[in-house]
Amino acid sequence: MKEILLDYDKCNGCMACAQACAAEHSESKTIVGAILEGVRPRIFVQSVDGKPFPIICRHCEDAPCVDACMAGAMQKDPETGVVTNEGHAEACVGCWMCIMACPYGAVDRDYRSNTALKCDRCPEREIPACVASCPNNALFYTDVNVYADARRTAEGRRLLAIG
Amino acid sequence: MSTECVTCTQSEVCTSAHPSIQEMYSRTHDMGLDTIFDRYQAQQPQCGFGMTGVCCQLCSHGPCRISEKAPRGICGATADTIVARNMVRLAVHGTAAYTHHLEEVAETIKATARGETPYTIGDPDKLREIASVIGLDTDKETNQLADELADVILAELRKSSTEPLALVKLFAPPTRLEAWEKLGVIPGGVLSEVRDALTKSMTSINTDPVDLMLTVLKLSLAAGYMGLVGTITIQDILLGTPGIAESRSDLGIIDPDTVNIVAHGHVPLMATAVIQAAEDSELNELAREAGAEGIKVYGSMCTGQELMQRSGSSARGYAGQLGNWVTQEYIVATGAVDLVMMDMNCSTPGIKSVADQFHTKLVSVDRVVRMEGVDDHIDYSPDKAEEQARELIRMAVEAYRNRNGGVFIPQHQSDVVAGFSVESILGALGGSLDPLLDAVKEGSIRGIAAVVGCTNNRNGHDTRGLNIMKELIKNDVLVINAGCMSSASEMHGLMLPGAAEEAGEGLKAVCNALGIPPVLNFGSCVDIGRIGVAVTAIAGALGVDPSRLPVVASAPEYLEQKAVVDGVFAVGFGLLTHLGPAPPVLGSPMVTRLLTEDIEGLTGGKVLVEEDPVKAAAKMVEHIDEKRKGLGV
Repeated sequence: MKEILLDYDKCNGCMACAQACAAEHSESKTIVGAILEGVRPRIFVQSVDGKPFPIICRHCEDAPCVDACMAGAMQKDPETGVVTNEGHAEACVGCWMCIMACPYGAVDRDYRSNTALKCDRCPEREIPACVASCPNNALFYTDVNVYADARRTAEGRRLLAIG
Repeated sequence: MSTECVTCTQSEVCTSAHPSIQEMYSRTHDMGLDTIFDRYQAQQPQCGFGMTGVCCQLCSHGPCRISEKAPRGICGATADTIVARNMVRLAVHGTAAYTHHLEEVAETIKATARGETPYTIGDPDKLREIASVIGLDTDKETNQLADELADVILAELRKSSTEPLALVKLFAPPTRLEAWEKLGVIPGGVLSEVRDALTKSMTSINTDPVDLMLTVLKLSLAAGYMGLVGTITIQDILLGTPGIAESRSDLGIIDPDTVNIVAHGHVPLMATAVIQAAEDSELNELAREAGAEGIKVYGSMCTGQELMQRSGSSARGYAGQLGNWVTQEYIVATGAVDLVMMDMNCSTPGIKSVADQFHTKLVSVDRVVRMEGVDDHIDYSPDKAEEQARELIRMAVEAYRNRNGGVFIPQHQSDVVAGFSVESILGALGGSLDPLLDAVKEGSIRGIAAVVGCTNNRNGHDTRGLNIMKELIKNDVLVINAGCMSSASEMHGLMLPGAAEEAGEGLKAVCNALGIPPVLNFGSCVDIGRIGVAVTAIAGALGVDPSRLPVVASAPEYLEQKAVVDGVFAVGFGLLTHLGPAPPVLGSPMVTRLLTEDIEGLTGGKVLVEEDPVKAAAKMVEHIDEKRKGLGV
């Protein structure tokens, strides 16, 4: 099962991911169209002490937002592992418990429908739009084991270089 | 006098080194007004491609940005080409704006020679001196000679790019000419150079990063000798050469009981006419009828610096300097400013959104200045200036009547000594630079640093600049200011003889002996030309090339395009030039290496990028020591 993973050091704050996310979730599927339609991105690039810091839903195994959702709108798909209210958004009562419960601040408000808005991992795409758009290869869509393997190799190289 | 930044630890918003501006920010914040510090925060994070200069938006294939994944744009342009081409476009802007200033002054001299303006030729001696260098017949009557000199300047601006600029040939040190000739960067007519550079920087015309960077250097020399040296020279001829003058600065000088006009911008022509008209008894009577005690004209930005340094002559009656680029919104937010006259450059749309909350009238006074929502335009015209100035004062009185209370004036102000120039320094030293040069030779003055240019909010308004200056004077380096950095020092009390207490022992002794501040006020950003003249004079007196002098330049808070040509001009002049925020070149390894290393072998100067103020000052001092060693002093 693949996850959206990040290498913070490679992010330079260009926000291409946020634009691509909004475009993917718009009618027009274009960046300009998304702006005109008022579509909000579901990935966030915070500025922390001047350094860009991308944040996206971790699709937690035991997701606090799902636990907190009294209306049952927020659900975790047992097959794909995706946590989303897409498909059940009509149940959302706009209590924002999910926003308060998420430790990462990864849930937002859709001002058009007044329901919770978050990453749905682009169900129509093989690779999520944010990952595909990143010009710096700061975002990956891969199995966590593959990521961990690459991280082990990189860390090994670094330690060996230090000697 | 501490300038350690405290706002970062006390609030989420980074503000200013000046207590007055911190107080004003609290006021605007409490009023629910978004001002520059809030907008800066809202813009974070900023895109790394734009910051490093590798974003190209020239054609409809773009925007392209260079990354590891995509090392070339769609047309094939590399990071080096894109960065260099973007630099040309920045330099074109700076050069064009300086040229506008120069043309306005030249046209005003012509109208003055015809007797159509409220001005009189302010420095006939300088007129004759310059006319003689240029080869005009100096036996002619003053007005006729001034008219001919203005014609020469206008012709220089407009001639072809293949005819070398006379002012470069006449005023540059011969050793500099040699270096520039070797590089093929002696510019021709400025407007033609602007045309050539714009043509080169269009999509797929000139894509050679080396040639593009030489074009930047050529434009900067054109801007340096015409827009800077040319402008200060003929502005002195028209309005008078600056003389030592005492003045005041900071928001605390605002008088709540007078009709208050703020002259904001760079071109001091209309402002000088307004200051002179403010003496008129009929207009003062009008102000008194409205309930005010009188009329006061304050300065902001470089227009204010121009007025301050001539407040003993053509700008007599000047009420003092309120601040620089970042402070404009907060000046209006005092609620005690009735009219802001905006001449060319540096009026931000932010000033309008604050003015909308008060009674303050904004008026553009230059035909190129327009701002959304500002409908009052009194476009400066030399032959109508007298009446235009009176109209501006009448508008200010009208606005005063609409004051709606809510005045808040932070109680901070500082006295200032202004008006330093080669001429006024020579006057103070008894006609020779020797006392100053001797102090440099025997080491009590270790070197000279021109800390100039803009201010910005990237590291706290004026904080970076002030920390560097204090570090430099502590190390016995005499600091010269021009531009928004002048305002930083004025508000912080560094332009007073008493500030010598903060200097090292050597510099302190010299300042005390001569009665001068450790930070000398050379005026506006155009007065960087005045610093160029001073460095030329020092190099001439010592018989060496400027690149061998213990002199450095720093634009610790550079902001806009005029500063780009200023910085490259200083590098071309042979000086180590420190830049605070890195210019948008870091995405190109070639351009970065050229500016920070390779160019030293070509012009003797280079760019130093160092964000830490203490380290930046230390590197400048180290460079000064090397140059001293080279001269054997």
